[in-house]
Amino acid sequence: MPDKTVSYEELAVGYKFPPATYELNASFVSKYLRAVDSSGDGFVPPLAITACAVATMTKLIPLPPGTIAIHASQELEFLKLVPIGTTIECRIGVAQKIARGKMSMLILELEVFDKGKEKVQSGRATIALPT
Amino acid sequence: MLTEIQQGKALNSVVKHITQEKINLYAEASGDFNPIHVDESFAAKTPFGGTIAHGMLNLAYVSEMMTSAFGRSWVSGGKLRAKFKESARPGDTLTITGKIDCIEQKSDVSYANCNFECRNQRGETIVTGEATVRLSGGKE
Repeated sequence: MPDKTVSYEELAVGYKFPPATYELNASFVSKYLRAVDSSGDGFVPPLAITACAVATMTKLIPLPPGTIAIHASQELEFLKLVPIGTTIECRIGVAQKIARGKMSMLILELEVFDKGKEKVQSGRATIALPT
Repeated sequence: MLTEIQQGKALNSVVKHITQEKINLYAEASGDFNPIHVDESFAAKTPFGGTIAHGMLNLAYVSEMMTSAFGRSWVSGGKLRAKFKESARPGDTLTITGKIDCIEQKSDVSYANCNFECRNQRGETIVTGEATVRLSGGKE
C-alpha cells in the first residue's frame, strides 16, 4: 500500500498513482458492514471496494498542513460481483486538473481489478483541494 | 427487492443515524483517517466547525437502497453519478429516497434509470444523483 504523497505539481493530467492492493477478506467486509450499519449477502458490497479506492486517493493527495480536500462528486460503475476473499488492485490516475483561484479541482479516474485482471469497478471522483 | 419495476415507482427509503462512532468505524474499515472525519479538535478549526461523515459513507446508504431494490442487478451492473452537496455530521438522521424515472430499452437490454437523494433531518440535501441498473437481456 503506497503511503507517500506526491507534490501538487506532479499531479499533471495523465499522472498515475502507484497501484494499491487490498485483500477483501471476511474481517474487512464484516468491519465495513458494521460501519455502514448494513447486512451482507455473501459478496463484497460495491461501495466497500470504492472505499478502498477513495482511501488510496486521499492518502496520496498532497495537502498544505491544516487544510482539507473536499470530495465533490463521484461516478461509479459496478461491473462484476466480487466474492469475499478477493484481492483487488486499485489504479488511479489524474484525468483533469482545473485551477480556480486558490482552489484546484482534480478529476481522478479509478479502476479496480481482481486477481484475474478483470475490471470489477470503474469511476471518476472530483476532489476540490487548496493549492 | 422491488416486486414491480415501473416508471414512477418509489424505492424503499433508508434511514440512518450518524454518530461519531460510526464515522470512526468507517475510517477504520476504509483506512480513510482524514482528520476532518475523526479528529474533533482539528475539525473544529476548519470551516465545518466539527467532524463530518465521509461522503462515501453517505453514498453507501444510497447503494444499500439500490441493492435492496434491485439485488444483484445493482452490484454487478449498476452505475451512479452522485454530487456531495452538504456534509453529514454526528447527530444527523439521514433519509435516502429514490424513484424510477424511466425504463429504457437499448438494443435487447432494459435499464431502470433512477434518481436519488439523501437529506438530513432539517431537509438539507446531502447527496443527490442518478443511478442506472441493467435489468435484463444482453450479456450477463
